[in-house]
Amino acid sequence: MAIRVKSPGLLTTVQDTGRFGEYAIGMPPSGAMDVFSYQVGNYLVGNEDGSAGLEITYFGPELEFTESAVIAVTGAEMPPKINGEEAPTWETLSVEEGDVLSFDYLRNGARSYLAVAGGIDVPVFMHSRSTYTLIGLGGYEGRALQAGDELQLGDARNGDARNGDAQVGKKVDADAIPRYTKETELRVIIGLASYRLTQESMKEFLNVEWTVTPDADRVGYRYRGGELGFVEREQPAGAGSDPANVVDFGYPIGSIQVPGGVEPIVLMNDAVTGGGYATIGTVISADRDRLAQSKTNDKTRFRSIELEEALAARGDRRKTLAEIKDSLA
Amino acid sequence: MSADVETGLPQARYSYGGDEFVFVELAEAMSLKVNFRAMAITNRLKEEGVEGVMDVCPSNASYMVRIDPDVLHPDTLISRLKEIDEEVGDVKGFELRTRVVDVPVMMEDPWTHEALMRFRDRHQDPEATDLEYSARINGYDSKDDFIAALLGSPWLITMIGFVPGLPWCYQLVPPEEQVEVPKYVRPRTFTPERAFGFGGGFAVVYSVQGAGGYQLYGLAPAPVLDVKQRLKDFEDSIVFPKPGDVWNYRGVDREEFDEIRASVEDGSFEYRKKDFTFRADRALEDPHAYNEEILGVLYGD
Amino acid sequence: MAKTVKAQMPGTFYRRPDPDSDFYVEEGGSVSAGDTVGLIEVMKSFHEVKAEEDGTVSKFLVEHEDAVDAGQDLLELE
Repeated sequence: MAIRVKSPGLLTTVQDTGRFGEYAIGMPPSGAMDVFSYQVGNYLVGNEDGSAGLEITYFGPELEFTESAVIAVTGAEMPPKINGEEAPTWETLSVEEGDVLSFDYLRNGARSYLAVAGGIDVPVFMHSRSTYTLIGLGGYEGRALQAGDELQLGDARNGDARNGDAQVGKKVDADAIPRYTKETELRVIIGLASYRLTQESMKEFLNVEWTVTPDADRVGYRYRGGELGFVEREQPAGAGSDPANVVDFGYPIGSIQVPGGVEPIVLMNDAVTGGGYATIGTVISADRDRLAQSKTNDKTRFRSIELEEALAARGDRRKTLAEIKDSLA
Repeated sequence: MSADVETGLPQARYSYGGDEFVFVELAEAMSLKVNFRAMAITNRLKEEGVEGVMDVCPSNASYMVRIDPDVLHPDTLISRLKEIDEEVGDVKGFELRTRVVDVPVMMEDPWTHEALMRFRDRHQDPEATDLEYSARINGYDSKDDFIAALLGSPWLITMIGFVPGLPWCYQLVPPEEQVEVPKYVRPRTFTPERAFGFGGGFAVVYSVQGAGGYQLYGLAPAPVLDVKQRLKDFEDSIVFPKPGDVWNYRGVDREEFDEIRASVEDGSFEYRKKDFTFRADRALEDPHAYNEEILGVLYGD
Repeated sequence: MAKTVKAQMPGTFYRRPDPDSDFYVEEGGSVSAGDTVGLIEVMKSFHEVKAEEDGTVSKFLVEHEDAVDAGQDLLELE
């Protein structure tokens, strides 16, 4: 054992890059919501890419180390404390046996990531250690951590095993650390069944400053602030009678639906993979890290872009991550 | 909406689902033919093993492909999909190597009845049960006639998803005989695991307990999802249904329901199933005659 | 200086367990350490806010059903 959970925080789960390739059987990817922060954590402690860490949402846990370890906390501004003393984020730290990691109140962002050299060692289920709480699989016993849980560390260190110590003191360049604010702009590619929305409603969708609702979670981010309407039509065979309904189809990760016309929902890592609500567009992959760091009551605007801009943003993000990785190697 | 003059098929809509998905809506309306097209196209795509394709997800009247855009540009995929679409055409002669499966279900069971009664305030007709309401709006004289129709002809699995293992089933009957019901006015917060429900034009078996908005009619004793893979039918996958499966929902009484539950509990349960080559033309031309043949394959020796 | 009870997490603050109940505590009321003084709703679940010490509620600093931030003062204790 290496980590004993003294108190679990609000929602602390084991996550890695996710459970991909199983979408066709209805299995969502799960995995870290803010992939950027999660990956940088692994770079900091010298782990192989894809090693499992902890995702900590809104309110932090208290974790006791039962052996010395090399760790890093990335993501939200939720100051970590070691034995009550504030410790830096985006920096590799060493902890000793008996040290307790806790967190101060969340200031900005929504999710912190704890990376530990070696990775959190839980059983791999369908090629991932990510927790999918809805049907209780992956992660630590398929659920969020609870007081008394004991986590093992793995041997997912890069290169010279057990030599995470060489990473201690390394830090991410200040310019490369994301700044989270209470206003977020998310780029979307309009499409899917967007023909179902009236033109005025599409304008409204893109003009309104939306507010993240308290419901927003790993399944989806729900927003309020506007009202959208659907084009009138005779509902096609198989769709059901509500104008928001379509013949059930697949939902891309990041896709946006508007069930009652008033509250758009962006589907995230633990979402349903398909259903009968009209989807109107998709948040691009490069912006989902920031989406995952927006918190309840924060403001969000959606901006329509073309595919090429989305692919360029994806490339930029990959380049930034590679540069950070190089700088920490 | 524009129509293709030669085949009379609606024009497919190709769309980007962000940078990681390509979404193709073949038609707005459900029909057997459009689902055959979705299966034919996605089967072809899977066979081709295109590099950069990560998930191929056939749906009812559409399909979706998840890609790694660093390897495969979405436009490159869309060009190929349009070619495949032309090759597949109107699915004349489309054959599907599949299986036909006996799926027991107890209609009007006490557990889903209790669940649906808890949520009458979220239903279109709080005074009736889901079965009574569905029978009435589909023009049936009694709920027993309605049940007989649901249990009288087999179904095609046209999509898997929502949650892992949940099958959407479309009945192999002519369009004028298709049942159609609305979903609940407001979704329930509880649905029993293995509940047999209906929404829009589709029957489902809820793979896990949870929220849901489909009309509830009964309960299946056997699972469609087995995360621990205890049962023989789940050796290769935690999910039993496959797109293109032909399922016959067979009504069982409480006694048989309990027997099947016991065999599920002790790990000995296995679905009755037969290999079968499904011919789309026959299902479109004379579905009732073809269904008799299908049931003969399943239940004959 | 007055002590405060803070929100542990962001969400919606409620002063009573359900719409039909009385407030957990009124201004001027006394609380003991461990008493529930409100609820915060976030991510589809409710979390109790508890007083950490004994005292008298001198003032609520937020309204019932207000959106609150993590670390925000919810009420003053004397």
